[in-house]
Amino acid sequence: MGGLNTALSIATDALNAQEVAISTADNNIANADTPGYSREVVNLSAAGTTTEGGVAVGDGVDVDGITSVRDQLVDLQIQGQTSAQTAANAQSAVLDTVQTYVSGSSATVGSDMSAFFTSLSALSSAPSNGADRETVISNAQDLVSAFQTTSQGLTSTQSGLDTQVSGDVSQINSLASQIASLNTQISSQPEDASGSGELEDQQSELEQQLSGLTSFSVTTTAQGDTISIGNDSPIVVGGQSYALSTGVGSNGLTQVVDSQGNTITSQISGGDLGGTITARDQQIPGFLSQLDTLANGFATAFNAAQSSGYDLDGNPGGALFTVPSTVAGSAASIALNTTNGDAIAVSSDGSVDGNGNLAALTAVQTTALPSGESPTDSYAALVDSIGNAASNASTQSTAIQSSLTQLTNLQSSVSGVSIDEESSNLIAYQQAYEAAAEVVSTINSLFSDTMDMMSTTGV
Amino acid sequence: MRVANSLVPDVLAGIQQSEASLQTALQEVSTGKRVNVPSDDPAAAAAMVQNTAESNNIDQYEANDNAALGAAQTADSALNSVVTLLTQAVSLGTEGANGTESESDRESLATEVQGILSSVVSDANTQYQGVAVFGGTSNASAAYVADSASSTGYAYQGDSGVNQVQVGDSLEVQTNIPGNQIFESPGASVLGSLSQLANALQSGSSTDIGTATSNISAALNYVSAQQGVYGNSISQLNSQETFLAQDQVTLSTQASNLVDVDTATAAEQLAQAEAQNSAVLAAAAKVLPTTLLDYLK
Repeated sequence: MGGLNTALSIATDALNAQEVAISTADNNIANADTPGYSREVVNLSAAGTTTEGGVAVGDGVDVDGITSVRDQLVDLQIQGQTSAQTAANAQSAVLDTVQTYVSGSSATVGSDMSAFFTSLSALSSAPSNGADRETVISNAQDLVSAFQTTSQGLTSTQSGLDTQVSGDVSQINSLASQIASLNTQISSQPEDASGSGELEDQQSELEQQLSGLTSFSVTTTAQGDTISIGNDSPIVVGGQSYALSTGVGSNGLTQVVDSQGNTITSQISGGDLGGTITARDQQIPGFLSQLDTLANGFATAFNAAQSSGYDLDGNPGGALFTVPSTVAGSAASIALNTTNGDAIAVSSDGSVDGNGNLAALTAVQTTALPSGESPTDSYAALVDSIGNAASNASTQSTAIQSSLTQLTNLQSSVSGVSIDEESSNLIAYQQAYEAAAEVVSTINSLFSDTMDMMSTTGV
Repeated sequence: MRVANSLVPDVLAGIQQSEASLQTALQEVSTGKRVNVPSDDPAAAAAMVQNTAESNNIDQYEANDNAALGAAQTADSALNSVVTLLTQAVSLGTEGANGTESESDRESLATEVQGILSSVVSDANTQYQGVAVFGGTSNASAAYVADSASSTGYAYQGDSGVNQVQVGDSLEVQTNIPGNQIFESPGASVLGSLSQLANALQSGSSTDIGTATSNISAALNYVSAQQGVYGNSISQLNSQETFLAQDQVTLSTQASNLVDVDTATAAEQLAQAEAQNSAVLAAAAKVLPTTLLDYLK
C-alpha cells in the first residue's frame, strides 16, 4: 500500500510540476510584449531518493523555483548607450533650433553686414548723395537688428531649456521613489519566487528609463540597488529615495540641487538632462561669446575708421554704433548712435564731395579685428562652430543607434520571449501532464484491483 | 545559442534609416542644394559666407565702375571741346599778331576770343548728375561763376580735392581733376591766357598778342596732357569691367561647387532611395508575421 500511495504522491507532484511549467509558459506568452520583461524558466530537479526495502527509489520531481533569465552586464551596457544617445538627441534638438539663426541668405548677421558694406562702397562715386547715405543708415539698422535678434534667439533658447531641466528633474525624482519602493518589495521576497523575478524586471525597466534622463552609477546591495548621479550624490539607497530639487543660479538659469543642498548642475552628464545642460551651459554660451566678440570688435573698428574722416557738415566723424565697453552682451545691446546719413565720415578733408576716408570705412570688412579675424571671417567661423556642433550631435546619435540595436538584440536573445520556444514547450508540458494523468489513472485502477482482491478472498 | 526572439527592432531600425535617406534625397532635389543648413556641411556653409560677401562686393564694384566711367567720359568729351576751342583761339591770335590787321578787325577778333572764353567756361562747368565734374570734391553745381573782380572775369567755386573710386578690392581709379588745376595752371592757364589775348587784341600791341598766343598754345598742350589722365582712367575702368565679370563667374562656380547639387545626380539618388525604401518595407512585411503557432493548427 505504501508503494501505491508513494506512487500516487509522485504522480501528483508530477501533475503539480507540469501545471507550474504550463502556467510559466502561459505567463511568458502573455508578457511577450511587456517592456522589460525577462522570460521565466521553471527550475525542476529530481526530489532525491527514499529507501524502501533496501532499494533506493526516486521521490518524484521538485519545483525549485522560477527564475527570470537576464544578463546584467548587457543591461548596464544598454543603459550606458541609452544615456549617450539621449544626450546627443537633446543637444541635436537644441542645435537645430539654434542654427536657424545663421541659415539662409537674408536677415542674418552675415548677409546684413555684407549689405551694409556694399551700400557704403556705393558712396565712392556719389559721396554727398543723400539717398545713398540713407540707404547706408537703413542697412546699418538692419545689421543692428540682426545682431540683437540672433543674440535674443540664443538667450531665449537657453532659458526655454529651463523647463526641460525642471521636467527631467521631477521625472528623475518620480523614478527614484518607484525604484526605492521596489527595493523594499524585492528584499522582502524569498529568492526564486516568480514575483521576485517580475519585480526585478520592473526595477530594471525603471532604471532603463532613468538612464534616458541621466547617467548614474548603480551598486547592488542586500537592501537593493543603490543609485547615485553626478559626483556621488545618492538618489536611491535601499528603500529610501532622495529627491533632487531645482533652484535659480546667478545666471538666472535653473540649477539642479541634490538632497544635501549641493548644486550639481555641472556634474550631470548623459541622458536628456545631461545633454540639455551641456547645450544650455556650454555650447550656447560659447556661440553667444563669439557673437558678442564680433559685435563689439566690428562696432569699435568702424567707429575708429569714422574718427579718421569728416562728416557731411565738415566735422570730424563721430561714432556710428554704440556698444558696451565689456564684450559680454554687446550683440544684445548694440545700437545706432545716429540715424542721420550726414554722419557718415566719407570725406578725408572736410570737402563735401570728397571720398578720401571711404577706403578706411570699407576696409573694416576685411581687416582683422583684435580677435584675430576679419568680421566676415569671424561670422563664417561662428557658422562653422554651430554647424559642426549640430552635425556632430546628430552623427553621434545615429552611430550609437546601431550599437544600441545590437545590444538590444543581444538582450532579447537572452531574455526575450520566443513564441516559438514557448509553444513547443507547451506541447512538451502538455504531453508530460497527460502522461502523469495516465499514471494517476493507472494507480487508481490498481487500487480498485487491490480492493477487489481483498473483498473476493475474504479474511 | 538563442537568437533574438523578434526581428522587429532590426526591421524598425532599417525602415527608419531608409526613410531618412529618402527625406534627404527629396530635399536635395526640391531645393537643388546639398547644403540647406550649416550642419549639412559646416565648412561649406562657412565658405559660402565669404563667397557671398565677395560676390556682393563685386556687384557694387561693377556699379561703381559704371558711374565712374560715366563721369570720366563726360569730362573727357568736355575737354575735347576745350581743345578745339583753344586751337581756334590760337589761329585767331596768330591772325591778330599779323601787323596788317586794322583796329576794327582786331576788335572783332577780341570779341571772338571773348566768345571762346565763355564757351570754354561753359565746358568747364559741365555737370554729371547735377554736380560740376571739374569742381574738385566740393559739390558745387558750377565750377566757375562770373566775377568782375577777377582778372579773367571768372572765379573758381570748387576745391582742389581729387577722388578715387573703388572698383576692386585693391583697385582705386582717379575720376576727377580739379578745375583750377586744368584751367588755371600757373604758366599754362587756359582762362588766363584767353583773357590775356582778348585784352591784347584790344590794346593792339603785337608783342602782347604774340605772348598771349604762345601762352594759349602752352595751355592747349597742357590741357591735352591732362586729358591723358581721364583717358587712362577710362581704359582702366573698361578693363576692370571685364575682370569683374570674370570674377563673378569664378565666384558663382565656386558657390555652386560648395552648395549646389547636380540635378541629374539628385534625381538619380532620389530614385535609388525610393527603390531601397520599397525593398525594406516589402522585406519587413515578409519577416514579421510568422511564428510556430501559425503552423501548429
